[in-house]
Amino acid sequence: MVDSSMTETGTSAPRAGPAYAGWIGKITNSGLYSATVGLIANSTRARLILLLAVPLTWIVVLHVGPIYQMARISLLDNYPPAAEGPVYTLDNYRLFFQEPLYFLPFVRSLIFAAVVTVAALVVTYPVAYYVAKIIKPQNRTRALLLLLIPFWAGEIIRTFSVIMLLANRGAVNVLLREIGFIDRPIPLLYNYFSLGFGVIYLIALYMLLPLYSAIEKIPPQLIDAAADLGAGPFQRFRRVILPLSKDGIVSGCSLVYLTSIGVFAAPLLLGGPNSVIFPEIIASLFHGSSDKWPEGAAFSILMLVVSLSTVGLFMRVAGGRSVRLM
Amino acid sequence: MRHYFSDAPKTALQASYWVFVIYLLLPLTLMTAMSFKDANFIAFPIGDWTLGWYAKVVQDKQFLEASGYSIFIALMTTIFATIMGVWIALLISAEGIWGRAAIFALACLPAVVPGLINAISMRIFIRVLDIPTGTGAIILGHTVHAVPFVVIMVLTRLRSMPNNLIDAARDLGADSFIAFIRITIPFLAPALVGGMIFCVLTSIDDFVRTFFLGGYQPTLPMLIFAKVQGGMSPEINAMATLVLIVTAAVGLYAEHFTRRSRT
Amino acid sequence: MSDMKDFRQTRRSTLKLLAAGTGMLAAPAVIRPAFAQGKVVNITTYDKFVPQEFIDQFQKDTGIEVRVRLTDDQGKQYNLLSAEGASPSTDIVTVTGHRVSQFIKSNLLAKLDTGRLKNWGNLAPAYTGAPQLTIDGSTYGVPLLAGFEGLVRNTDYTKASDSWSIMFEEEYKGLTSYIISDFLSITMRYLGDDGDYVTYGDKPDVAQAATNKARDYLIQHKDKVRKYYDAGSEVQQMFVNEDIYVAQAWSGPAAKLIMDGHPIELSVPKEGTYGFLYSFNVVNNAPNADAAYTFLDAILSSPEIGAAMTRQSGFASAFAGVDKVLDERERAANVLPDEQMQRVQFFSSVNRDMKNDMIDKATAEIKAA
Repeated sequence: MVDSSMTETGTSAPRAGPAYAGWIGKITNSGLYSATVGLIANSTRARLILLLAVPLTWIVVLHVGPIYQMARISLLDNYPPAAEGPVYTLDNYRLFFQEPLYFLPFVRSLIFAAVVTVAALVVTYPVAYYVAKIIKPQNRTRALLLLLIPFWAGEIIRTFSVIMLLANRGAVNVLLREIGFIDRPIPLLYNYFSLGFGVIYLIALYMLLPLYSAIEKIPPQLIDAAADLGAGPFQRFRRVILPLSKDGIVSGCSLVYLTSIGVFAAPLLLGGPNSVIFPEIIASLFHGSSDKWPEGAAFSILMLVVSLSTVGLFMRVAGGRSVRLM
Repeated sequence: MRHYFSDAPKTALQASYWVFVIYLLLPLTLMTAMSFKDANFIAFPIGDWTLGWYAKVVQDKQFLEASGYSIFIALMTTIFATIMGVWIALLISAEGIWGRAAIFALACLPAVVPGLINAISMRIFIRVLDIPTGTGAIILGHTVHAVPFVVIMVLTRLRSMPNNLIDAARDLGADSFIAFIRITIPFLAPALVGGMIFCVLTSIDDFVRTFFLGGYQPTLPMLIFAKVQGGMSPEINAMATLVLIVTAAVGLYAEHFTRRSRT
Repeated sequence: MSDMKDFRQTRRSTLKLLAAGTGMLAAPAVIRPAFAQGKVVNITTYDKFVPQEFIDQFQKDTGIEVRVRLTDDQGKQYNLLSAEGASPSTDIVTVTGHRVSQFIKSNLLAKLDTGRLKNWGNLAPAYTGAPQLTIDGSTYGVPLLAGFEGLVRNTDYTKASDSWSIMFEEEYKGLTSYIISDFLSITMRYLGDDGDYVTYGDKPDVAQAATNKARDYLIQHKDKVRKYYDAGSEVQQMFVNEDIYVAQAWSGPAAKLIMDGHPIELSVPKEGTYGFLYSFNVVNNAPNADAAYTFLDAILSSPEIGAAMTRQSGFASAFAGVDKVLDERERAANVLPDEQMQRVQFFSSVNRDMKNDMIDKATAEIKAA
């Protein structure tokens, strides 16, 4: 989409030689540049340190730091700790394994996230393919915009608009009643259907964009060549397009899985009495009327470990050779 | 342009696109319709129509300030998260770095933690570091949450980048910084745009983190949540509709610009 | 090429314009902390609880800047204060009566020195020494609004009922809704037990038996439930959309539906129910405690503020003289026959730990069943 404007600057690149024209030239020729960036850019060791230091510091301090606080709380017997000093215990973790009450929603969450991920993939793949390969390039941005704009309404609004669609007096039921198809409204809301419908509605974009970006870069010549060799549409899809878009599938699935396992606002609003999932339990431990922070923290850590390792495993299995980092 | 498919699959693909567009737009159309309802709660049938909610919203200083504040935070978040996300992705994709899988897992951590947990742990953490709450803390919290999205998007694209591109640039005399600016960044552009969209979206939609890290100036989602608490009124729908119209206008303008500049 | 330059130019200037616009809009937020060196009071409360005109007048009269942080539920306020620990960023919070003990147990609220409030006498007499805000002889908040757990029904589709039994009738299968923890207390009461655990102080086994009985009863009737909900706005929307016909709901959200003309009736069944108070509470270690007292005193001076809160929340005001400010419809939505009001028993503040533990556990079990 907007990439075309960005690569624009790239195509007007100057010819060979270290002397650059334009603003880059002005910068690279300045003494300040060669004393700072240039020095770093030309020294392998300085470059390595720069590459390592900043992101590692960021990750250790800001990604791990807060979770470390959470992990510490999960080992306390009480929060805030008693005045005599904190008492550490593993009881909060033990609770999860001893109490079958929490196990079911936990498993339900994992299955739910997996189903949502697969559904989102099936629903958005043809859409992403259509936009990336079939639509004329000059109309592509518009086609993408049409898909993008609805996501700007905000989660709470979008959840309520799903309610307005599916409620007993929502659009679907009103329409069906108008045309005389039904007498009594069909209960569409507050079950697994509305939950899945709503969650995919909220997070489809996390699948769509990675898929689009992966499919878009498949060279059309490859598909043409396959066609010339007599491959039918299904074969072309299975043998050429699918393997070449694997990167997008893997990252889209990871994003959707990770996001959908942590959502709890939408399930709270769209789920029914039998679809309680784990983040709701965690939230109720934090929000509940008695002080259950340590238990809530322990459960979050458990969920975190399990969902991260699921994704890691998935990337290793599905990603295979192309995802070398695992 | 060649047809990769015979007409039947192509029509099916086209249909799937339009069905998906309807799936995305239909609920929002209902929401927009409700913003014209002359009552205090949203419901069918709409009955009396009014423009009163819009008149109220465009004069609502709190709404305008909250929108501006949200946009400001989202822009800052996008800038910082994109830089840090690309940096981390480069680190992970670099050859010969030990423990890349672990770094990747840790880089994704903030995306996995449910918002509430993330917000509370962040609040305790910045108290430990003695960082004051307010605009800076919100931006920090949003950035931490947005970084994994950039990392995943950029890594996906980075993996398919031909190594010889950079080598060629080096051969032409570019130092590695210049090669990065002139070769890597343009190659990453689609992934960057995608990542930035995620940054803006997660930031502008975030409620829990903002509540825990913020000061006394409400962002748009905070305002909307607080209003929903008093009942789902068409006023909230009018706000959301205005947000959509402005976003669509900005999007179309950008599209218009790229189209003109290409020709 | 020159064409392109033009476009770049326009784009650049447009972007500049956009950036400038954003900056201007955001400026008050960014700049405000910088000059807010003077006297300030920080309040965490619900949207529209404190009318803007009052804030403007108060700032003009006292020179104290009022900063409002909007919240949408009790849990978030509690979590925020807990996370902030000994250095809170808030002076005044808005707590419901039955939550007060939780805040106090975590040492988050300061005792209220009612002697410093000249207008303390402006409260309606029933609320001046409200027991829910009095713990170990000390008062912990300025009562604002009173509400109760009501039986709410759609009058178009249901028959009148003077009993909670309507929540368990076969006729309304899949058409009821409730907040589990609240309705568990009511069910205990409905089954003849003490749903507020006041009498169970030294009898945990009796309490557990009563809790289990109500829990099993709710599980047995789980098929009647359309949805368990949390927020008032949810139950309102379910009634408006006709997803449910009968529910347990707080009087406030129900009264708002009535004020808006929906076919809704709010009542207190013969088995009785529980009531609660919203209050403004001064936070422990509040950075601006003096300003907080000035603010609370000013709030008590005007029934207009009580009326604004009633309009926004639907709950009845604890301030004297508010009836005169409300219009006919607003008043009607809040008034129940005396005989029904007699059935409301306010949630107590004793034996909360046992109650919270048992109710939370049973709530999780009902959800998982």
